[in-house]
Amino acid sequence: MNAPHLDIRGLTVDFTTPTGPVHALRDVSFAVPQNSVTGIVGESGSGKSTVLWSILGLLSANARVRRGEILFEGEDMLRKGTDALRAARGQDMSVVFQNPMASQIPVLTYATQMRDILYRKRDLSAADKRTLAVEMMERVGIPDPARRIDQYPHHFSGGMRQRAGIAMALLPRPRLLLADEPTTALDVTMEAQVIHLIRDLATELETTVLVVSHNLGLIAEMCDHVVVMYAGEVVEAGPVRELFHNARHPYTRALLDCDPARITRKTRHLPVIEGSLPDLSAPPKGCIFAARCPKATLHCEAEAPSAQVSGGRHSVRCHFPVTEKSVPDAPRILDAPHATPPDAGDIPLLEVPYLNVRFRTMGPIRARLNGVADPFVDAVLDVGLTVRRGETLGLVGESGSGKTTLGRAILNLTRASAGSVRFEGREVRNLPERAFKPLRRDMAMMFQDAIGSLSPRKTVRALIAEPFVIHGAQDRDLDREAERLADLVQLPRAFLGRYPHELSGGQARRVGVARALALNPKLIIADEPTAGLDVSVQGDILNLMAELQREKGLSYLLITHNLPVVRHVSDRLAIMYMGRIVETGEAEAIFNQPGHPYTEALVRGVPQPDPDQRRTAPPLRGEVPSLMNRPRGCDFAARCPFAKDECRQIKPSQSTRADGRVIACHFPLI
Amino acid sequence: MFFYLIKRIGLSVAVIGLVVLMSFALLHLIPGDPATIALGPRASAETIDRFTEKMHLDEPVWRQFLIFAGNVVTGDLGEDVFSNRPVTQIIGENIGFTLALGAAGLGWAILVGIPLGCLAALRPNSALDRATGILSVGTIAVPSFVIAIWSLLLFAVTLRWLPAIGAGEPGNLPDQLAHLILPAFALGLGWVGYLSRMVRASLLEVMNEDYIRAANAFGLRPGRVIFGYALRVAILPTITLIGLGFGGLISSTVFAEVIFARPGLGKLLYDMVSARNFPVVQGAVLVTTGLYITFVLLSDLIIAWLDPRVRDAL
Amino acid sequence: MLSDPSASQPGAGRPRQRSNVRLGQFLGSPKAMLGLTVVILFISSAVFAPVLAPYDPNALDIPSRLSGPTWAHWAGTDQLGRDTFSRLLFGGRVALKIAVIGVSVALSTGLILGMIAGYGPKWLDNLLLLAFDTVLAFPTIVLALATVALVGPSLELVLIIVIVSTVPGYARMARTATLALKNDEFILAERSLGASTPRILAHHVLPNVVGPLLILAAMDVPVVVTIEAGLSFLGLGVLPPTASWGTILNEGYLVINDAPFMVVAAGIPLVLTTLGFTFLGEALRDIFDPRMGRGRA
Repeated sequence: MNAPHLDIRGLTVDFTTPTGPVHALRDVSFAVPQNSVTGIVGESGSGKSTVLWSILGLLSANARVRRGEILFEGEDMLRKGTDALRAARGQDMSVVFQNPMASQIPVLTYATQMRDILYRKRDLSAADKRTLAVEMMERVGIPDPARRIDQYPHHFSGGMRQRAGIAMALLPRPRLLLADEPTTALDVTMEAQVIHLIRDLATELETTVLVVSHNLGLIAEMCDHVVVMYAGEVVEAGPVRELFHNARHPYTRALLDCDPARITRKTRHLPVIEGSLPDLSAPPKGCIFAARCPKATLHCEAEAPSAQVSGGRHSVRCHFPVTEKSVPDAPRILDAPHATPPDAGDIPLLEVPYLNVRFRTMGPIRARLNGVADPFVDAVLDVGLTVRRGETLGLVGESGSGKTTLGRAILNLTRASAGSVRFEGREVRNLPERAFKPLRRDMAMMFQDAIGSLSPRKTVRALIAEPFVIHGAQDRDLDREAERLADLVQLPRAFLGRYPHELSGGQARRVGVARALALNPKLIIADEPTAGLDVSVQGDILNLMAELQREKGLSYLLITHNLPVVRHVSDRLAIMYMGRIVETGEAEAIFNQPGHPYTEALVRGVPQPDPDQRRTAPPLRGEVPSLMNRPRGCDFAARCPFAKDECRQIKPSQSTRADGRVIACHFPLI
Repeated sequence: MFFYLIKRIGLSVAVIGLVVLMSFALLHLIPGDPATIALGPRASAETIDRFTEKMHLDEPVWRQFLIFAGNVVTGDLGEDVFSNRPVTQIIGENIGFTLALGAAGLGWAILVGIPLGCLAALRPNSALDRATGILSVGTIAVPSFVIAIWSLLLFAVTLRWLPAIGAGEPGNLPDQLAHLILPAFALGLGWVGYLSRMVRASLLEVMNEDYIRAANAFGLRPGRVIFGYALRVAILPTITLIGLGFGGLISSTVFAEVIFARPGLGKLLYDMVSARNFPVVQGAVLVTTGLYITFVLLSDLIIAWLDPRVRDAL
Repeated sequence: MLSDPSASQPGAGRPRQRSNVRLGQFLGSPKAMLGLTVVILFISSAVFAPVLAPYDPNALDIPSRLSGPTWAHWAGTDQLGRDTFSRLLFGGRVALKIAVIGVSVALSTGLILGMIAGYGPKWLDNLLLLAFDTVLAFPTIVLALATVALVGPSLELVLIIVIVSTVPGYARMARTATLALKNDEFILAERSLGASTPRILAHHVLPNVVGPLLILAAMDVPVVVTIEAGLSFLGLGVLPPTASWGTILNEGYLVINDAPFMVVAAGIPLVLTTLGFTFLGEALRDIFDPRMGRGRA
């Protein structure tokens, strides 16, 4: 093995805040071997991004590096002057950013931005630089690069923007490539493409990669070495197989256990890590994880463990490292059976025979001028679904698939252009708001943005009690009701006096659940209930929802892009693509054997948190086409690996299988 | 770009149309005989009759408006009540002075204010930043006509460095410039403060954006990051502000022209109000308002040219 | 933790600490204190002008006309021998009246129109925007000159001009803020609970929109006072012999060669007041501006 390309030793960083210093990084040490892909994995607050910005010397103004060395090719980046550091950036090392929407300047073309990056290559003419840039755009898979390089970032779709971001990062041929959550802003099918793109190009260009992510699947799929961080410390580091198959730190173990994609057997009760992050303005004296560790002893609380190396390059910072082999399906996870099995009664709770939602894309005048005869898009097109009492239906799709619009149209928050929505057998589509209002007691919604869906200047108490006020139940003791509901969703009553921005994502989510539950609804439409939550917390919310379902016989329509999660909590699934439902059926059956090629791509598109299950190629090429020019035949034909001529000409109709599955495909996989 | 242009120009035309309507309505909304209202109670019966005939006040209101709007479109703003000269001619004689004053006042404010704002933003909380901060609040807060009077008192009456009144001898450029200094100073001083804080605030905000961090991560030169990237975006709200602030600038020129007894649209308007010469007042209002709308349109077009997102929006 | 008694009272716990921190910040800021002092001075001197003024503001004293500052006349006298200091005190009453009525009417009208434009249907929004743009297209003083040309100067007209020319500013601000909120998930969440449009506007939009508008109002007081003084200076507002800062300035301007002290004295209260309110508004904005204060995660 070569000497490490990047060697970080004892890095300690504080942030100055109005309430005193926060010790964000404490004694962080790890090495990145040459020509390898190393990943830093951790949840929010672990300090993983701070490490990245320390390497670049671009920490925010209130950060102070107190101790440590960052040796890049033998030179300490922390001792370098501003100019020397700047010389290294964009030359020796480069970055791929998390959010390509925000990290590319909107007012300059890619050609200008890329020419700027090459400004140090004085021997190259402007034309040479442009040629290099076009070549790199081509390499990252941007079609027609010579033309598109003169476009602005907002002309690119999200996936293309991230490809352009990678092109910019690799353009100066850096020897070290840093990637900060490179796929977080992307959909599942794009994520897989970007992972492979970075990995392949890094090998080809002999670039060492350090990638930061919270996504265990990405880490397993992409990295050779893994560094696990928790609350500003490295708790474990080692080769990827060691780490995923033989994790020795209790935190790493717990983190792996929490990942729903690693739980092979279906379960209604997902594991979580109890407790919360320690306060980093006064970190504990002993082990940083002791407070949440099931195996912690007095010794752990009194004395901080030092990193011990075991078996080659695997190091762990724990007094009592786990030694037994990890089993993917941890035995302490119990499959809680359904208390009230979904009844197959004749009238389903919610029945949508078919529903269409159309949005106007441009004003009538502009459409006339442009010669557009039909200035509308079909966000939801001939969608049919059924939710039975006590059942959870998972509605899965990528962004732009129309799943959120569908949920809102059912709740009469968005106007449906055609179709029918029946709630308990009664037609409710496009009812006037006054007529719909009583129904809002029976149908509640949980919104994607946990904090943003709470009115910012109301206390939690007022927010929870609001449904009673709106529906004229003011004779009730609102304080008592608020406390009852807070208890129900396991939110400590002390939080009732707080404002939404003072809550964590998980706490805000509980408030959302309480508001949805206030009037004893029969159906809850939950839009991405785990969005923005860490892996160790998302189980909490899903378990709570499952518990409430058992107790109250609730039905859920669960809207999500997260297939591994939805699989565990849904009875049936509906897969949506470009506004249509392409497959519905029992969750387990679909998961075990997808019937529609798109479903298969989704199921296989999720990077597996197991380095032994790496894919050699991303399951899907290309991007979701624009709704404005819907293909003539099957919507999925352009990306489908099995597509035949018939698929490009004729729209497939839905066919029902023996097991009750409905698939819209000419050549289903089953 | 094409659609943006069409939409933006269409909007300006609509506003101008409404402005013409309102200028017309001014006279008719007030109860009483329009001619008497316009000319004042002391006007002779003969003047009133002539005015009534010239303004077609004996016609139905809708016809009057059509005639008025038609005249405005063809560039006919009526005639002076007393001298019977065309209003457009009178305005033409004055507008140059106002434009020169406005350009000089705004010009020096831009040349000083924007660099000052940049310097303050690049060294937040430095002595220069604090000084700029205090100075800008001071200059924004003090009304321009107080500055005008005080500078008149100090530089013209007490120190006698600069001429006090008039626009200078026609054809004598140095003299005209000397007469321009004080009014332009009074006009622009508030703008220096305004622009410098606006630039400072938006530059500081843009410096926190991810794409600035990205530019730094690619090791671009600080000069390129600040002027090629950050200022490129931060200048956009400032341009909007300059366009919108043009209305306030026109108001300030009225004071500057009255105080320094300088010819111009503002002085004309003021004198004609006192003289109850309604057609000239109406014409001057239309022209100043039209100027303002043109400048807002111009600033929006500059922004569309600088910002591709605006260009492509809608 | 579960039975923390203090937590069951509204406003208990962290929010109050937060507002305490903000209050502390406010009281600790020299800008705010300076502004507050001047504003209090302005209001109290205007309210108590009849008590404080050493002379009747309209009492003529021809022999001691155009005197500079003396022990008898701190701020000198004007062409008719009236005591400038007393006249300035009374002039403050006009300024205060215009400021209070003008700003509050403009603020509430603008707030309501802006929220309607922002939350209502698109055609109504476009219509109101066009109306705002048209009103804004008339430079304030030009609009005032044109109307005065027809109806003659009066205090009421000054008020109307002030309100008409400042309403679009508030309305546009309220509209922008409402538009931004309209697509926020919490508004949708309220709708999903069945909250009526008036309830959403009053309980959930208004509290989030009004803050920046109040700061704008504080910063608009100088603008309004300046418009009044400016119009009165031009002889288009308050008419002599009523004392107004603008008329006093104008009287001073006319005798600038003989009694230069007068325009200095007449300008000072105007400058102080505008500075005071600007400082106050800035301090409020620094501390409460939603962009700088709370960033929603």
